[in-house]
Amino acid sequence: MATRTDQVVGFGLVVFSLVIFIYYTIWVIILPFIDSDHIIHKYFLPREYAIIIPLAAGLFLLLFVGLFITYVMLKNRKPAKKTN
Amino acid sequence: MTKLEQWMSTLLVLMLIWLCLVQDLLNLGYSKKFHDVILPLPVYLLVTAGSYALGTLGLRLANFNDCEEAAQELFMQIQEAQADLASKGLIL
Repeated sequence: MATRTDQVVGFGLVVFSLVIFIYYTIWVIILPFIDSDHIIHKYFLPREYAIIIPLAAGLFLLLFVGLFITYVMLKNRKPAKKTN
Repeated sequence: MTKLEQWMSTLLVLMLIWLCLVQDLLNLGYSKKFHDVILPLPVYLLVTAGSYALGTLGLRLANFNDCEEAAQELFMQIQEAQADLASKGLIL
């Protein structure tokens, strides 16, 4: 049995990813087939954001990964390095 | 053919199909709604793959089989081994 925190975090991640997937599926695939005067359109941003937000988030992720790698590499330099 | 080559060729085929549909190279003449759905599909694929990865991560994290007693037992054995070796002169 995983620890209580592990289970909570794990299932939280599952729920989070499900929510994202369902919201995004409705946004991208289902909304265009619904008339524009239906009330459901109130809960969704304009559809340009359906492309901008994931791309921006992806770029931020890459940035974060790059920064993390930089940080780890800087931390693990051998101290006795003589530079000319 | 390596796994990477398989994945890349599948993605390439999907990308070509998507490009054909978006630019309407086959002159199928479909409605605007169809075009509105086809256009974000690559980003949709990325988001789906990302959320699948995240969900699988979470599931595996929640179902990981921690063996508490085995861990304790192993720890005791490590202590014993260290004490034993130290008494025989090996300094770790």
